[in-house]
Amino acid sequence: MAAIKLSALDHIFEKYEGKKGKLIPVLHEIQEEVGYLPVEVQRYVSEKLGVAMSKIYGVISFYSFFTTEPKGEHTIGVCMGTACYVKGAEDILNRLKEELGIETGQTTADNKFTMTMTRCLGTCSMAPVIMIDDQVHGNLEAEKIPEIINKY
Amino acid sequence: MAKKEILICAGTACLSAGAEEIKDKFKEEIKELNLTEDYETKTVISNTGCIGPCSLGPIAIVKDDNTFYGHLKTEDVARIVREHLLNGRVVEDLLTEEEGEKVEDFKEIRFMKKQKRIALRNTGIIDPNKIEEYLERDGYQALKTVLNELTPLEVIEEIKASGLRGRGGAGFPTGLKWSFAHQAAGEQKYIICNADEGDPGAFMDRSILEGDPHSIIEAMAVAGYAIGADQGFVYVRAEYPLAVKNLKIAIRAAENNGYLGSNIYGSDFSFNLEVRVGAGAFVCGEETALIASIEGKRGQPSTKPPYPANSGLWGKPTVINNVETLANIVPIINKGSQWFSSIGTEKSKGTKVFAVAGDVKETGLVEVPMGTTLREIVFEIAGGIADGKEFKAAQIGGPSGGTIPKEYLDLKIDYESVKEAGAIVGSGGLVIMDEDNSMVDVARFFLDFTEDESCGKCTPCRVGTKRMLDILEKILDGKGSQQDLDKLEELGNVVKETSLCGLGQTAPNPVLSTLKYFREEYEELINTAEEGN
Amino acid sequence: MEITIDKQKIEVEKGKTVLEAAEENGIAIPTLCHSPFLEDVGACRMCLIEDLADGKLKTSCTTEVKDGMEVLTKSKRVEDSRRTILDLLISDHPLDCMTCEADGSCTLQDLAYQYGIERSSYGTKSEPRFKVERDNEFIELDPDKCILCGKCIRVDQDIQCSDAIDFVERGFQTKVGAASDEGLGGEDSTCVFCGQCVELCPTGALSYIPSQKKGREYNFEKTVTTCPYCGVGCQLELKTKDRKVIEVGSVYREGTPNPYGEACVKGRFGYDFINHPDRLKKPLIKRNGKFEEAEWEEALSLVAEKLTEIKDEYGGRALAGLSSAKCTNEENYLMQKFMRAVIGTNSVDHCARLCHASTVAGLVKAFGSGAMTNSISEIEGSDLIFVIGSNPTENHPVIGSKMKKAHKNRTKLIVADPRQIELSGLAEVAVQQQPGTDVALLNGLMHVIIEEGLADQEFIAERTENYEYLASVVEDYTPEKVAEITGVEAAKIKKAARLFAEADKAAIYFAMGITQHRTGTDNVLSVANLALLTGNVGRESTGVNPLRGQNNVQGACDLGALSNVYPGYQSVEDPEIKEKFARAWETEELSAEVGLTVVEIFKQAGEDIRGLYIIGENPVISDPDQRHIEEALDSLDFLVVEDIFLTETAQFADVVLPAACFAEKEGSFTNTERRIQKVNKAIGPPGEARADWKIISEISTRMGYQMNYDSPADIMAEIAEVTPIYGGIYADRLGDQGLQWPCKDREDPGTKFLHQGEFARGKGKFHPVTYIPPAEEVDDEYDYIMMTGRMLYHFHTGTMTRNSEPIDKHEPDAYLEINKKDAKKLRIKEGDRVRVTSRRGEVETNVRIGDRVQPGQIFMPFHYAESPANRLTNPVLDKDAKIPELKVTAVKIEKV
Ligand SMILES: Nc1nc2c(c(=O)[nH]1)N[C@H]1C(S)=C(S)[C@@H](COP(=O)(O)OP(=O)(O)OC[C@H]3O[C@@H](n4cnc5c(=O)[nH]c(N)nc54)[C@H](O)[C@@H]3O)O[C@H]1N2
Ligand SMILES: Nc1nc2c(c(=O)[nH]1)N[C@H]1C(S)=C(S)[C@@H](COP(=O)(O)OP(=O)(O)OC[C@H]3O[C@@H](n4cnc5c(=O)[nH]c(N)nc54)[C@H](O)[C@@H]3O)O[C@H]1N2
Ligand SMILES: Cc1cc2nc3c(=O)[nH]c(=O)nc-3n(C[C@H](O)[C@H](O)[C@H](O)COP(=O)(O)O)c2cc1C
Ligand code: SF4
Ligand code: SF4
Ligand code: SF4
Ligand code: SF4
Ligand code: SF4
Ligand code: FES
Ligand code: FES
Ligand SMILES: [Mo]
Repeated sequence: MAAIKLSALDHIFEKYEGKKGKLIPVLHEIQEEVGYLPVEVQRYVSEKLGVAMSKIYGVISFYSFFTTEPKGEHTIGVCMGTACYVKGAEDILNRLKEELGIETGQTTADNKFTMTMTRCLGTCSMAPVIMIDDQVHGNLEAEKIPEIINKY
Repeated sequence: MAKKEILICAGTACLSAGAEEIKDKFKEEIKELNLTEDYETKTVISNTGCIGPCSLGPIAIVKDDNTFYGHLKTEDVARIVREHLLNGRVVEDLLTEEEGEKVEDFKEIRFMKKQKRIALRNTGIIDPNKIEEYLERDGYQALKTVLNELTPLEVIEEIKASGLRGRGGAGFPTGLKWSFAHQAAGEQKYIICNADEGDPGAFMDRSILEGDPHSIIEAMAVAGYAIGADQGFVYVRAEYPLAVKNLKIAIRAAENNGYLGSNIYGSDFSFNLEVRVGAGAFVCGEETALIASIEGKRGQPSTKPPYPANSGLWGKPTVINNVETLANIVPIINKGSQWFSSIGTEKSKGTKVFAVAGDVKETGLVEVPMGTTLREIVFEIAGGIADGKEFKAAQIGGPSGGTIPKEYLDLKIDYESVKEAGAIVGSGGLVIMDEDNSMVDVARFFLDFTEDESCGKCTPCRVGTKRMLDILEKILDGKGSQQDLDKLEELGNVVKETSLCGLGQTAPNPVLSTLKYFREEYEELINTAEEGN
Repeated sequence: MEITIDKQKIEVEKGKTVLEAAEENGIAIPTLCHSPFLEDVGACRMCLIEDLADGKLKTSCTTEVKDGMEVLTKSKRVEDSRRTILDLLISDHPLDCMTCEADGSCTLQDLAYQYGIERSSYGTKSEPRFKVERDNEFIELDPDKCILCGKCIRVDQDIQCSDAIDFVERGFQTKVGAASDEGLGGEDSTCVFCGQCVELCPTGALSYIPSQKKGREYNFEKTVTTCPYCGVGCQLELKTKDRKVIEVGSVYREGTPNPYGEACVKGRFGYDFINHPDRLKKPLIKRNGKFEEAEWEEALSLVAEKLTEIKDEYGGRALAGLSSAKCTNEENYLMQKFMRAVIGTNSVDHCARLCHASTVAGLVKAFGSGAMTNSISEIEGSDLIFVIGSNPTENHPVIGSKMKKAHKNRTKLIVADPRQIELSGLAEVAVQQQPGTDVALLNGLMHVIIEEGLADQEFIAERTENYEYLASVVEDYTPEKVAEITGVEAAKIKKAARLFAEADKAAIYFAMGITQHRTGTDNVLSVANLALLTGNVGRESTGVNPLRGQNNVQGACDLGALSNVYPGYQSVEDPEIKEKFARAWETEELSAEVGLTVVEIFKQAGEDIRGLYIIGENPVISDPDQRHIEEALDSLDFLVVEDIFLTETAQFADVVLPAACFAEKEGSFTNTERRIQKVNKAIGPPGEARADWKIISEISTRMGYQMNYDSPADIMAEIAEVTPIYGGIYADRLGDQGLQWPCKDREDPGTKFLHQGEFARGKGKFHPVTYIPPAEEVDDEYDYIMMTGRMLYHFHTGTMTRNSEPIDKHEPDAYLEINKKDAKKLRIKEGDRVRVTSRRGEVETNVRIGDRVQPGQIFMPFHYAESPANRLTNPVLDKDAKIPELKVTAVKIEKV
């Protein structure tokens, strides 16, 4: 993997200069840029914000949104909210597992997809749904899965 | 010729149903017909937020005559443009059919007819990214009134008199909360809008933020003035990118127009807003956890007292209000507390938005006066159970709530009655289930959720929900016994009584309420297990 | 207010919790996550009570009492809920009591016993869910035994202030973890192995590796005593079994330097030197260049004989003694008494000469007393702390933590150190001046303060003298000029000056970075000037606070192990005082002349000095210019060394006497805040080793001067009689918290901070000083400035810490710190070997690259005999205090 250029993240720290409680927004923006939060990034954040490494890891591991592993090109979030569950989200999930050959939290070998479980996306009316990157796919049926995946 | 305006719902549901393509198609058509701006006829395509009847998406509404077109396909667009926009003729066969009749007026469609929209007054009607549209609908007038005419205490009195209670779950009187923070000693105070909306099945907060962000900004400024805060935070969950985007656009617009910043309306009141995005932890909707999260910490709740109103964000007095709660503030100021308190029941005033989902014909957001019955919502608004099935149960209030059987269909929904029935109004998630659903499985679903979302701080919730889940799974696996049932109930009660925060205190509710109303389903599973032995 | 607990009416103070109220009234409520020193979080939910007002179960540790409140602590509902919670905890707990270190001192086990839970009704955990973390020498973490009470995390974050651990993951997966979840010994871990988390852990989840399998709590005998390492003077509990120290526990006692049971890695883990096989067990006499074991009788007679011989031939002034800051007050008193009353010389000195001699010289001039003006407990009350030339988080760790805590709460921090030390990272202003330029820096600060009208004129007028002179001298030191000398930007100088002057209570803390220069006394005077100028002496939480180094260096100085003063800083040149001591000691031998100091003794060795008696010092490693010291020792007619190990210095001796160490004797140490604290015997000495006070007495008696003390308490009583500042110090008064001098008489409660209302010398006196550069500066050949000093894990010449297995395993190798730019220039990598050469010698060592030091400078700890920094250092002395310039040496560096 290519080395991460840490100084390229400086603009993020500058943006939050003087703000209180900036750890989480900073982690968000860095993850957006880098894709994940490996140790060297955590070290840089620790140094820049003066927050202990232990606390940074405590925070990263608490929030399911943060990851220390690189993600695939696309992230598939399978909604496991109530409405989706009631409308058969489990079938969708199983079909995805089957199609991609991975469990939730994992990334396909070709690095194309990372699959996660998400809580309600707030699109219950179209349950069951999945979200691929920022795009919601609703009113799903397991059979439609291959077709959708193939689009990516 | 009058200017024609088309609203195309750009809520998340409609977008994913293809609203974007519909919009492009409209643009294309309009261009083709040369209906551009320098033309006599001016056609405007607006992007609204969620209009409400999400399951009918993609949706377009011709604003001038309120004609509603649902389930749109791209091939329909040309006809609407040519027939309706140009020639003023409604395209009959594209209208929604309800009980054999075509409904033309948006307000007359079944889903909308019985609603009373206060919190959702603007969503789906205005373009959230255009502050002018908000201003046209009396936007920022409440703030003006408050700053020019009322003292902070008068504002608080007005809110108190309205009877408004928190829509985030606990139903705490909003005016009272404000008055605590107002009285609390300290120079620096904060106001936080809780837009974490973690309850799976609820999405009214998302819709409001996406569709009417200015109403929240204005309400927060009013609250800030009332309690003496010059800084506010909106904590939005990360799963709502569109809400974050629209909110940020709105904040910038408000700043540029002087509704945020220093000396608003020439007063000496200054107020700024910052958006904070959550990071995927349901418990952060709990107010003390939310505060910890804004402070950059693990979102673990802490014991109360002290309450945030006395010692909140960075130890300063802080008011935390839910999005929907705040969405009611501006109308109360504009129309008066008397108007507001005339709606609803004795102890629950105003309206409540429910996110209706599950096995009903039409799903979406429903705003009705407090005291509306479950039956009205399920059958009159949502069109009843889909596919000709039977109503079995309603799960109200999400993972903290409970499951109510059909005996309660005539339950008037307000804070007290729902609680008595063993559920909570909560955030207003309303999942309707038909006869095919196993209640034990539903209970397991919710417990699985809370177990997974437990922050892990306190023993009963961290280990207790895990053990409850173990037992439920054992029962569902057909390996349970009567003892397990007793144990489940007993443990559920301890978890409820001894957990530190609302998450643990309510986590057993789905189990306990299904045990109460659908015990036979559990027993059936156990009996088959015992027979199998 | 009144509340009712279990039907019993109880009076309680407002603000207390129900738990506190219950405990005060003997009502026991079980707890797992509560500790009186930590913020309550209400996590375990064991301490439930039933509030009759609303019928709710509440956690008593987080519920404040309300007037008229009625609660039940033992109702069935409460007890059932507690039992369920315990049952839940045990359902996720391995039932390993059989082999568990915590057996017998485990709250979970106690509660399970009390509630009769043999195994969980939810089934017992069969498989571990986590891996045991054991990636370091000191502490093991077994997350499967953890009940997530979070006490370890709170003590780590809020008292130790290391932020080494936190909860990681969430929900049922939650556990305690360090940075990047790598374990306490991980690369990014900030754990400093203070062990406070282990002490508070209610289960066996955290345990000490070195003491594993060596006994459980109930197997140990326990003795509370004072730490033998640094001047903080922590109270520790030695846990012993079979005459061995097995573990060191915390003492939680108000009024001590470490009331919350604080300690550092040395106090906590550096105890196995005590039972080290290499301890001296029998006297040794060198015959034909080789040591042979001897009987005490023979060795003592030989020493007495040789000392008498030299005294008879050359006079008492041909003999000198080095006393020991490791030894007790009583022993130091005897040692100087012996040298003065029996030998007849004032040439008795000790390591304070290399340490705070300049502090004593400077502060006596400025204030009339050379000790730390304020107390450790006052740190938290300061508005601002200025740390200059002191690295507390490594060298006075418990004080360092208190500073961090104060800073976390509200106290501002200024740090001036050529290196980037841990505190620099926290400071509001941190400056990295060139080594040896402190006078210029301090003058610069004072210049700004005066120029901007920030001086405390009222204080100056009422309580000081000589201000005009000071003002005239610092006038020259404009920030711009000072910037040139020190390398610190003028803007920073101004910022620091304002911050300091504007604080109401500003305290200065300093140590070797200030004192160990040929201008050490000047430096100290400058520090005193700054405090006087801003009115920061004589009040609580202010002051001029030299952090004294050794466990008993304060006591050794107080009791006259200095060549110019009798006990209590009474001048040897004052005839009346001499007369007083002559009478008290019944001797004719007292000399009226100031004696030789440490470095001078070695300079005169073989010439004016013919014989030397060294107790508990290791000058071959600790004194500057090692080659010269070795030659000096070689040239002596007779050398006797009394130590606990056969040190590098002892190797040169004619007779080596085996001493008992702190754990094996009684007495007292005086810590940096002038607190005299008890030293208690935990075990017997190894072999035939004896306490120093006994050995000195025996030699003295053999030389014809009877010393017949029954116990250190007797000696203390004698001290009280001749030493006004210790006038009220008696062994029986020391109790649990000791006493702080000045303490005039038996009724005197001691003194928390000095110079209230009046200075010891009357008025505080400004002594303006001008900047003089260090003796050695860089040139073409010696192109780096070397500083020397310390690191957290090792102590001085290593006789103790390097003989401690876990500590030496953790930090086994000598090193120097160098800036990454220089490393690049020299083409060296982390861990490479380099040769460092000064005008006096060369050593080889490993490099550590980073940015702790600035380019052009290096830092070398002097702990390692295999790479002795003092082979290189410059023995040039401060003219008043005779302290050598250990902090500035010009060197060159080559890769080997
Ligand atoms: N772990 C451990 N703790 C100890 C000891 C030990 O050996 N090991 N020894 C004890 C003893 S006896 C003593 S005296 C104390 C000493 O305690 P300290 O004085 O804190 O220890 P040092 O490391 O010698 O030096 C302190 C700081 O002075 C800085 N310094 C170097 N040159 C200059 C200078 O010119 N000006 C200024 N302002 N600063 C400079 C160094 O960078 C260093 O950070 O520690 C005691 N505590
Ligand atoms: N380059 C450089 N050199 C320095 C310094 C520096 O910063 N840089 N710092 C200087 C300072 S501040 C100091 S204080 C000195 C310290 O220098 P020293 O005092 O020489 O160093 P220690 O290793 O503490 O020596 C104490 C000796 O006492 C022995 N001992 C321990 N307990 C007892 C006991 O109960 N009885 C007897 N008889 N012996 C005991 C130990 O085994 C050890 O040999 O080093 C100085 N040298
Ligand atoms: C586990 C948990 C989750 C919660 N989630 C939310 C939420 O997502 N949104 C919300 O507004 N309130 C949530 N709450 C309630 C808040 O703690 C708080 O009561 C509310 O935001 C107050 O606003 P209101 O008075 O306007 O209702 C949650 C409470 C708990 C215990
Ligand atoms: S009840 Fe659950 S979520 Fe709330 S503090 Fe306890 S463990 Fe955390
Ligand atoms: S931690 Fe306590 S309960 Fe657990 S095995 Fe050890 S002694 Fe037993
Ligand atoms: S040993 Fe000390 S520094 Fe390390 S984790 Fe425990 S309390 Fe923190
Ligand atoms: S390791 Fe010990 S002190 Fe820390 S949380 Fe676990 S049980 Fe508590
Ligand atoms: S801080 Fe000093 S006295 Fe306390 S334990 Fe450490 S070395 Fe001993
Ligand atoms: S998203 Fe379009 S109606 Fe809800
Ligand atoms: S001791 Fe009170 S909750 Fe743990
Ligand atoms: Mo020292």
